[in-house]
Amino acid sequence: MSRLPLIFLVAVIPFLSTLCTSFSPEKPSDRRILVLLDDLALQSSHSLFFDSLSSRGYALDFKLADDPKIGLKRYGQYLYDGLILFAPSADRFGGNIDSAAIVDFIDVGHDLIIAADNSASERIREIATECGVDFDDDQAAMVVDHTSYAVSDTEGDHTLIASDDFIQSEVLLGSNKIEAPVLFQGIGHSLNPANSLVLKVLSASSAAYSANPKTKLSSPPSLTGSAISLVSVVQARNNARVLISGSLSMFSNRFFRSEVQKAGSSIKHAKSGNEQFLTELSKWVFHERGHLKAVNVRHNKVGEANEPSMYRINDDLEYAVEIYEWSGKSWEPYVANDVQVQFYMMSPYVLKTLSTDQKGLYFTAFKVPDVYGVFQFKVEYQQLGYTSLSLSKQIPVRPFRHNEYERFLTAAFPYYGASFSMMAGFFVFTFAYLYNK
Amino acid sequence: MGKSSTTKDAQALFQSFRSAYVATPTNLKIIDLYVMFAVFTALIQVVYMAMVGTFPFNSFLSGVLSCVGTAVLAVCLRIQVNKENKEFKDLPPERAFADFVLCNLVLHLVIMNFLG
Amino acid sequence: MEATNGTGKSPPTPAAKPDLLSTSSAFFSDFLKTLKLKTKQQELLIRVAILGLVYILAFSTRLFSVLRYESMIHEFDPYFNYRTTLFLTEKGFYEFWNWFDYESWYPLGRIVGGTLYPGLMLTAAVIYWSLRFLRFAVHIREVCVLTAPFFASNTTIVAYFFGKEVWDSGAGLVAAALIAICPGYISRSVAGSYDNEGVAIFALLLTFYLFVKAVNTGSLAWALGSAFGYFYMVSAWGGYVFIINLIPLYVLVLLITGRYSMRLYVAYNCMYVLGMLLAMQIRFVGFQHVQSGEHMAAMGVFFLMQVFYFLDWVKHLLNDSKLFQAFLRITVTTAVGVGAVAMGVGTASGYISPWTGRFYSLLDPTYAKDHIPIIASVSEHQPTAWSSFMFDFHILLFLFPAGLYFCFKRLSDATIFIVMYGLTSMYFAGVMVRLILVATPAVCLISAIAVSATIKNLTLLVRAKSKVANPGAGKGASSAKASSKGLPDQSMPFQRNGAIALLVGAFYLLSRYATHCTWVTSEAYSSPSIVLAARGAHGQRVIFDDYREAYFWLRQNTPPDAKVMSWWDYGYQITAMGNRTVIVDNNTWNNTHIATVGMAMSSYEDEAYDIMRSLDVDYVLVVFGGVTGYSSDDINKFLWMVRIGGGVFPVIKEPDYLVNGEYRVDKGAAPKMLNCLMYKLSYYRFGELTTEYGKPSGYDRARGVEIGNKEVKLEYLEEAFTTSNWIVRIYKVKPPNNRCWSQLCASTRLDFGIWLHVNVVAGSMHSASSTLNWVLFCASFIITVFEQAFIITKMPLAFKRHRSSSKANLCPLRAIWKRE
Repeated sequence: MSRLPLIFLVAVIPFLSTLCTSFSPEKPSDRRILVLLDDLALQSSHSLFFDSLSSRGYALDFKLADDPKIGLKRYGQYLYDGLILFAPSADRFGGNIDSAAIVDFIDVGHDLIIAADNSASERIREIATECGVDFDDDQAAMVVDHTSYAVSDTEGDHTLIASDDFIQSEVLLGSNKIEAPVLFQGIGHSLNPANSLVLKVLSASSAAYSANPKTKLSSPPSLTGSAISLVSVVQARNNARVLISGSLSMFSNRFFRSEVQKAGSSIKHAKSGNEQFLTELSKWVFHERGHLKAVNVRHNKVGEANEPSMYRINDDLEYAVEIYEWSGKSWEPYVANDVQVQFYMMSPYVLKTLSTDQKGLYFTAFKVPDVYGVFQFKVEYQQLGYTSLSLSKQIPVRPFRHNEYERFLTAAFPYYGASFSMMAGFFVFTFAYLYNK
Repeated sequence: MGKSSTTKDAQALFQSFRSAYVATPTNLKIIDLYVMFAVFTALIQVVYMAMVGTFPFNSFLSGVLSCVGTAVLAVCLRIQVNKENKEFKDLPPERAFADFVLCNLVLHLVIMNFLG
Repeated sequence: MEATNGTGKSPPTPAAKPDLLSTSSAFFSDFLKTLKLKTKQQELLIRVAILGLVYILAFSTRLFSVLRYESMIHEFDPYFNYRTTLFLTEKGFYEFWNWFDYESWYPLGRIVGGTLYPGLMLTAAVIYWSLRFLRFAVHIREVCVLTAPFFASNTTIVAYFFGKEVWDSGAGLVAAALIAICPGYISRSVAGSYDNEGVAIFALLLTFYLFVKAVNTGSLAWALGSAFGYFYMVSAWGGYVFIINLIPLYVLVLLITGRYSMRLYVAYNCMYVLGMLLAMQIRFVGFQHVQSGEHMAAMGVFFLMQVFYFLDWVKHLLNDSKLFQAFLRITVTTAVGVGAVAMGVGTASGYISPWTGRFYSLLDPTYAKDHIPIIASVSEHQPTAWSSFMFDFHILLFLFPAGLYFCFKRLSDATIFIVMYGLTSMYFAGVMVRLILVATPAVCLISAIAVSATIKNLTLLVRAKSKVANPGAGKGASSAKASSKGLPDQSMPFQRNGAIALLVGAFYLLSRYATHCTWVTSEAYSSPSIVLAARGAHGQRVIFDDYREAYFWLRQNTPPDAKVMSWWDYGYQITAMGNRTVIVDNNTWNNTHIATVGMAMSSYEDEAYDIMRSLDVDYVLVVFGGVTGYSSDDINKFLWMVRIGGGVFPVIKEPDYLVNGEYRVDKGAAPKMLNCLMYKLSYYRFGELTTEYGKPSGYDRARGVEIGNKEVKLEYLEEAFTTSNWIVRIYKVKPPNNRCWSQLCASTRLDFGIWLHVNVVAGSMHSASSTLNWVLFCASFIITVFEQAFIITKMPLAFKRHRSSSKANLCPLRAIWKRE
């Protein structure tokens, strides 16, 4: 009987260990990833990419897209922290996965990598549209570029493109410059320019267009030039990250290992930039880089330690917040000099850049404006590639109380004197009047 | 007509006024003095306000109104105590004075609250 | 009605016919005799008894709604007063005096301590604290609900003393009885109507009574009392402006008619100076007594009085008229000149502010309609109809001129005052329905004079005959007995019979008055607007408690810092009962903020969404009466939202919503009306509902039509709660879409045809008179048709609409939002 709790404890410990290794806000790097394929051969033909993921500690789970036993959720709990969809031709998914479930998966905060190609089904196009990215309507269209195609021995139809039009961001693509162009063969997509959540990571050159390579062009193509995006990322408002690529083959071992020479350039690179590009990008997608958290938002009056529930106009206050960046293994202090805080009520009354102590603490001090109302401490920090910080703390600001105004003003001394002299006069008068004979 | 007659009138006015005034009883004269003191203080304050501006307006108002109130209450007392007023012949002067003191008390309390 | 029996005390002669009158009077006088009281004491006992009964009557006639429903606060404004009283009792006077309320008028906040009249709250708090001190464990809500009836009872006592001062104690008793049940006063002082007027009328009458007493006695103590009464009035209601203008007017009239006296000087001066000083202690009033045009009459009369009495004194002193004339000339010209110059300079330089809109619209009734739509929109501010006068005054309406006649017959300082009060208040009552309340005490007093004088004369006639003919008989001796005694004069019995007949008539009239008043109180003035009642199909009473249902839902199901947007009518109730922050409320101090809400309600859903996001709105509350036939809902108030919103933001144009000059919600309505936010929120899911037997689905019972747009789809809001009778509907504002820019991840390729059609042409559709509009319309139609065909074949996604870039709209809005 007394050994029962001990046995119970021993049985529970493995569960605890699994819980620790799973995704949690304290350790944002995803751990368990579901990979949906439409052909299990992809597991070996894209093994370099998958190995780079598992070598970084991710647990990959390979399944066929229409496997009836797959599921993202079971009894309300998510089984995976990330999803890779390498099933462009999948028309329906098995189990309880459908496009709405995948969209919910993103809305909960998990990450997604989608690759399509010219056999992309309606399902995949729909998921991409829900993420803010529109593939070309024409089912048979591919991206064709007659000026920056990859030179190869056979005369191709110039659908194999060598592109080096990368987005300039160290957070997204790593600090090492990608020397070689990236090979791409697939469909293009376009973004809504008003949408600031979507970024074009690899765009086509200005001579590219999206059309069916096998037929003659009858009308000008709808997608042309650098409006075509080959690889895009989406960072949602809840900081879930989505990578959308129009080419499944750019992840393949063949493209990783192949040599590449861009048309019009004489340099022949021994290895294409695909491996470096996609490895670095996958690090970003799975939150190993560029993931910030802001904790410990504090504000108080100068000289006091606790947070008041209300400020008064013309008070002096201090504001502090700590921002950390996830390095893949631990939280490191984030150092920047452009984090700003606003004291906001329908428009910012005070806008200050926070100073930092290089250890992740950002602080500033300012005077409450002369206006009363309900203000907010707003920190809106959006840098390319970093998670967006949107902190907002509401605090009312009251006007002066009736006894907080200045008293005993020198300008008013005559009035004080007059009033007191009236009182004295009254006193004297009563004596004089009453005792007058 | 014109200036000379006005000045002559004023002088004659002044003379007859003075002669009539001498006849008033002493206690009324004391009240009159008190009233003059109050009005004079009020005028000083108004002149000061005209020079400096109205900044602590509540102090200005309380100062001026304390003077005006004192003057007015003293005049009321004078009216009630004056033996020539037939309407008040039933009112005992002690009662009049007690009312006067009460009103002044209220006046000064309110002024103290309004002053700061 | 004066007691017509009981003053006789001799035993009836045994030969008298034992009719009811004589037996009752005999019994009564026997009763009094057993108490061994003298006449004076009997009279006192009767008076005290009558006053006691009137006191209880005044209190109990106001309790209908408490008995029918429950002890709750009515209407809208009382909820704010209740909330402030609650705050006062919980946090103390110091916090209350400095209270900054950040839960209303988000995000501007409101300095409550400096923008309210604290008299009512302090009165209720004092009553509450004293009851608590006596160990009665009452809840503050009960005290608040019953404050107004309690003060109505006190008003009757003051009315008795006032009537006694003006005429005699008989008139006082009649006045007390009349004012106890007069509907004009009951309407604003029924139990549950916890509003300023409940206490203010008491203060008004008290001030007037004390002032008249001061003028009559010339005592400084009474004048001080009236100053305190004025202070109480200033702390209680903004209508104190009436006192501070009526009393100077009265003084002026007395001066002009030559009825001035030393007593007047003492009374007015003491009251004015001390009253003004005391009044300036209220933060909300501040320095208005020396700076606002509405108070200048009092100051002008004050100075005039000083000059007048000074001249009078000098004249008395000089005893020489010629010299005095010269002196007079000089002084008067100087004084008038100085006064006029000061007044002119003050007004022209703006230092003396002109009459505010609220009071100016009393002098010029058409002013508000053209310039201040918020004032014009309140139903209480409309001019009074004759039916309202009859409804609220009944027989007092023709007793009033009779009373005026009596007053003019016996002019004195007091009667002149009451005549002036009556005439001025009747004028204002004619301008604004709400001010019938102010006229009620005057009308009751003057009518009481008429009644009392008439009945007195009549009873004198009745009693005089019996006294002359039978010195020993009581008043109750029958007419048969008198005639049997052989009267010397033949016409006397006619007079006496006529008098008795008139007395019976008067008694009948007064009883009809009492019946009418009770009926009016029961039917018209005892409904708490927050709970609605109707008659069901079988005659049973059906209660709609939707408002409280919705507010408690808000209180229990939303986060504590949620912000609720609704039309300003419901602001006080939402903060008091729902305990949530609101954007605008009944105080209506900031017109731009209200106009912003009005603009949000009358815009399309996407534009309204931007406005709501900028104000951090989480929930939207609308009131809808289509299912129950409730006609005070938001669709009927919509015209004011458009007018007030359009008054500040010219993008809202009223003709866009009108069809032939009227607001319609059926198929013939304007397209902007059918797609605006208010329409959508009111009629969401309503198209599927059948409300009345024999009518199609979506039949709006309040407007009596079938609605035009039954397929209402909401994109940016979702329905959170609808009460059981659909009267209150609450919607939640959805956060922006996680992944896309607009709420629906629409295709990036613009649906140009639909965009053009909806955003450009729809706005000018009904006035499509120019060729350009027709060209646009046809082009958009063609484009739309082809694009739809293309889209339907290619993309299976539903609902493609490009949302116009409304980011740009925010910037001009921000520039306009400023604190007023």
